[in-house]
Amino acid sequence: MLRLKRLYPQLLPWLDVVALFQWGALLLKFYFSGQLQLLIHPNYNLLVLGAGFGFLIFSSLRAKHLIYRRRSGVNDGPLQHVTLFPPGLGSGLLLVSALLGLLIPPAVLASETALQRGLNESLPYTRTEAQSFYNPIPPEERSLLDWVRTLNAYPEPDAYQDQKVNLKGFVVHGPTLPENYLLISRFVISCCAVDAYPIGLPVRLTTDREDYPQDSWLQVQGRMTTEELDDRRQLVIVAEAIETIPTPRDPYEF
Amino acid sequence: MNPLQNVLTLSQLHSAFTLFTSLLVEALPFLLLGILLSSALLFFVDEQQLISRMPQNPILGSLFGSFVGFLFPVCECGNVPVARRLLTQGAPTSVAIGFLLAAPTINPIVIWATWVAFRDQPQVVVLRIVFCMIIATVVGVIFSFQKDPRPMMQPELAKRVLYRLQARQAPEQPSLLQSGTYLLGQSGSPLRLETATPADFTPPKPIKRFSAQNFRLFMDNMVQEVRELGGMLVLGSAIAASLQVLAPRELVVSLGQGPISSILAMMLLAAVVSICSTVDAFFVLAFASTFTTGSLLAFMVFGPMVDLKAIGLLLSIFKPRVIAYLFLIAGQLTLLLTLSYTYFF
Repeated sequence: MLRLKRLYPQLLPWLDVVALFQWGALLLKFYFSGQLQLLIHPNYNLLVLGAGFGFLIFSSLRAKHLIYRRRSGVNDGPLQHVTLFPPGLGSGLLLVSALLGLLIPPAVLASETALQRGLNESLPYTRTEAQSFYNPIPPEERSLLDWVRTLNAYPEPDAYQDQKVNLKGFVVHGPTLPENYLLISRFVISCCAVDAYPIGLPVRLTTDREDYPQDSWLQVQGRMTTEELDDRRQLVIVAEAIETIPTPRDPYEF
Repeated sequence: MNPLQNVLTLSQLHSAFTLFTSLLVEALPFLLLGILLSSALLFFVDEQQLISRMPQNPILGSLFGSFVGFLFPVCECGNVPVARRLLTQGAPTSVAIGFLLAAPTINPIVIWATWVAFRDQPQVVVLRIVFCMIIATVVGVIFSFQKDPRPMMQPELAKRVLYRLQARQAPEQPSLLQSGTYLLGQSGSPLRLETATPADFTPPKPIKRFSAQNFRLFMDNMVQEVRELGGMLVLGSAIAASLQVLAPRELVVSLGQGPISSILAMMLLAAVVSICSTVDAFFVLAFASTFTTGSLLAFMVFGPMVDLKAIGLLLSIFKPRVIAYLFLIAGQLTLLLTLSYTYFF
């Protein structure tokens, strides 16, 4: 114990090296494993890659410096002894968060978060707002985000009557919807998971929605129609074929 | 069912952790960039010269500080290390405060992003800049009444300022009054043999910008900033992420219908969400349909100055009471300015 106490000041500078290295490794792991798209918008991917290498370079330079300092017996300047945190706490927090990040893979945000954040068919008018009423993407190839974008540009549901639908998303059982309806939903990310914004369209089923548990991913094929739900005329997908699919690697839309 | 399970389920915990990670992954590159820039000040800028040229007049000083943001395109995670460095190097308080409040908004990247988001309402972009300048200047002037920043700062950091000030004011005691053996050193002034170090006997080196000594300082500074600001960022992100999961956003949103309450709600949201100023314009567009333009402005003016993450980072500079004043004044001014916008337009 006493030996450990004596060793502590010597080990302390190495805590920085390890913490920096861990963050570099974590950022690169997120980048190369594709988990990064569960966390931030792809626009920032290169930034994370750069920062990952930055942390690694920083860590190795620091290690080299510590070894050099030890060999040449140069002491630290007076700056080293002035810290706001108790020694090791700052680096310790960084190290612990990086280790947790390595151990716990990021979760795919699901129905719980969607309901909490208020799920609807209006869009946070982020970035690529539809510039015209004319949408070049044929209806059956539109993703949920494409549909919501189109709907935001021209909100009259009757305009889409009988158009073909083929899209994927996860299941949310809307608390105000009847038993044979579910919401097919996705999250839209404009910066990072913190501002993930849920969008969804109601789907009319031929069976009970309990057949499709919440958070399961579906590929829904059907046609558009207009119905009165929640005292509001709105666009509804009439399901013709529903297939359960595994959670996609890129669950968010951007 | 156990009532606790209602409050926090395992999946909520996992979501909160994911949000926490995503905040860190988003913010750390910017933090690293900010620290890199602030440490590069050591290399490329003769700080003493820069600081001695800074206007001492409080109004000019805070205006100067606001525009320094154009040199350092950093968001609110990156501006704290730079402001901290300015303060410890003895920059006027008004310059440091002006920089602290305005730099995250008044820099090319953020202005560009805001313009992309609010292309249809150019007045929002202009007003964001103008309001931010006004607030930064007013707060800068108020704080400049405190000429010496040290009593406002965390004691440990204040010591660093003291150390530097002392170093600058160096020979206080007339050396001739001391007894001992003297040498004529390179500086031309007599050098007391007892205090001489081997370095005093080596020939003078030409001043090199990229000397090993400079690089060592640069590295030490970077490690120290990463250690402290990174630790604070981790704490702040943890709080922000858990609040996001625990406090329903709907609750925050439902507060905002009236002109005043919408502004207050957006200011609260800005503080809670802790979103980076380079991307907050896109985020706030989500509320463009339901909230008044004044409240969106409040979000974008107040957010970069104050958020939970920033509180963590700011605690590494100032005492809690100073931060409270800073936030209260900035908050009141934001409310006043955006409310007058709502009222007049």
